[in-house]
Amino acid sequence: MPMPVLPAPLADLMAALGKLPGIGPRTAERLALHLVQADPSFVRQLATTLTNARDRVQGCATCGALTELQPCALCQDDRRDATLVCVVERAVDVWLLDKAGTYRGRFHVLGGKLSPLNGIEPEDLRIAQLEQRLEREPLREVILALPTDVEGDATSHYLARRLAPRGLKITRLAHGLPAGSGLEFADDLTLSRALEGRQPIA
Amino acid sequence: MHLTRLRLRSFRNYGRLEAEFGPGFHVLLGGNAQGKTNLLEAIYLLATLRSFRGVGGAQMVRHGDKGYFVGGQVLGQGAHAMRMYWSPSERRLSLDGQPVRKLTDYLGTLRAVVFCTEDLQLVKGPGTRRRRFLDLLLAQTDAGYLPLLQRYTRALRSRNLVLKARLVDEALLESFTRDVVGVGTQLTQLRRELVPRFSPLVRLAYRRIAHGAEELRVEYRPSVKQDFAVELAQARGRERTYRTTLVGPHRDELQLLLDDRPAVQYGSEGQKRTLAIALKTAQAEYVGGRHGTPPVLLIDDVMGELDARRRQGLLPLLERAHQASGQVFMTCTEVNWPEELGSRLQRWEVKAGTIEADRLVR
Ligand SMILES: Nc1ncnc2c1ncn2[C@@H]1O[C@H](COP(=O)(O)OP(=O)(O)OP(=O)(O)O)[C@@H](O)[C@H]1O
Ligand SMILES: [Mg+2]
Ligand SMILES: [Zn+2]
Repeated sequence: MPMPVLPAPLADLMAALGKLPGIGPRTAERLALHLVQADPSFVRQLATTLTNARDRVQGCATCGALTELQPCALCQDDRRDATLVCVVERAVDVWLLDKAGTYRGRFHVLGGKLSPLNGIEPEDLRIAQLEQRLEREPLREVILALPTDVEGDATSHYLARRLAPRGLKITRLAHGLPAGSGLEFADDLTLSRALEGRQPIA
Repeated sequence: MHLTRLRLRSFRNYGRLEAEFGPGFHVLLGGNAQGKTNLLEAIYLLATLRSFRGVGGAQMVRHGDKGYFVGGQVLGQGAHAMRMYWSPSERRLSLDGQPVRKLTDYLGTLRAVVFCTEDLQLVKGPGTRRRRFLDLLLAQTDAGYLPLLQRYTRALRSRNLVLKARLVDEALLESFTRDVVGVGTQLTQLRRELVPRFSPLVRLAYRRIAHGAEELRVEYRPSVKQDFAVELAQARGRERTYRTTLVGPHRDELQLLLDDRPAVQYGSEGQKRTLAIALKTAQAEYVGGRHGTPPVLLIDDVMGELDARRRQGLLPLLERAHQASGQVFMTCTEVNWPEELGSRLQRWEVKAGTIEADRLVR
């Protein structure tokens, strides 16, 4: 007797959902089963929302933050201090720091951290773009707001060293960022304190 | 501290096991290949997340099953429930019903020291064996040690990969060297402080078990003599050839000397075996001393290897575990457990992946 098989489109949907971060095979299965039995207009709407978001949201060509406009609102806002740039690992870190409220300078998203174990080398990060900005923009201080785990620390020191000949002030967040995690675990107050207490990097 | 409950599912030759244990002595009796060692392995796994047989998860899954489950309850300072599930595609670990986010939150809930035939490798095997022993000892007694070790390992592996590149990026190398040196220096320091506190215990244990005239010495031989940064810089030329980090705590050695000569080369088989047991005895005593409560002792086949006179040397440790409401699990093949142990033994019959409590002896 032939085995009962999943309809191919359902299997495809499970496979596709399973590629999303944090979605294991079980969850993918549950979501797919839900979707193929949900109200068709809801699913159509979801599909449009998905493609819309993907088409319209892009990395800012200047700072790397997620935006609909080029350049992004943060880069265009001339009330912000144009002499300061805060370097972060991921696009989401921009919002976290901006939300904390104390920081009023520019941002630059690296898009990762140096990690030989994950095959991420300097060329894979937006370091060259940062250097171009340092040429073009009136920046005088670079604040490194990277995680304090092995890779984050190595990236901070690598950048400090690579940027040193430019004679800029290079600082890093003083403390308060839990080791081994990104900025998302730090609350607003901790972030503000860390920003105020930033220190020159050796 | 003692294990009050053990639950196994699809672990080795146990399809399912539910057992409750009191404090004190437990003797696991049974013929060969019935599951005595497997039971100790499960308890040790729960405590350390490692098998003392040095194997990975796949080997512990019962043949034909998908994954194993090991759960236990521990009574120490408060009661705790530990649960782990392993399958090739899924790993789960929880403490008191909460998923474990950091290993340091979990380790230490159950402290165990195992005595098994593999211990001989502590004396005969390569330096990694002894470094792992030091690491375990420090992790069991110093909450800050494991995070440092994990950080060092990650920085070291990163640095080694940078060195393996066809063209070594010096700036990148330097960025990872900082952590290797900074964290590595702390590791060396902690090991340097540990060994003088620990080695007298090994010496005493050895003397008690061996009754011999030979003097045992345990010495720490760190790879870094004085200044890690300087010594690493000096090794840079050789690193270019070998493409790996040549100096650091990952190259430390714990030297075991009998009458000033390396036990590996000059010790007799009996001396080596005694030495291995002395190291484990000292581990149990040191860990117990630091925490004020003895660890759970898991003793596999070791008593059988020793003659009555040498067994006598182990008794103080076992007695103490007994008095301090500790717990000992010991395997035996026949009803030939050491008479000396005397009263209040809980006997368990182990047979083809099941265990059954015998009546309390005396
Ligand atoms: N993954 C596994 N699945 C099923 N059975 C296994 C698995 N691994 C080991 N076994 C079985 O477990 C048994 C060995 O158990 P164990 O090593 O605990 O024996 P033991 O009682 O300590 O014996 P001995 O006295 O010889 O040391 C063997 O029969 C072996 O085939
Ligand atoms: Mg055995
Ligand atoms: Zn921008």
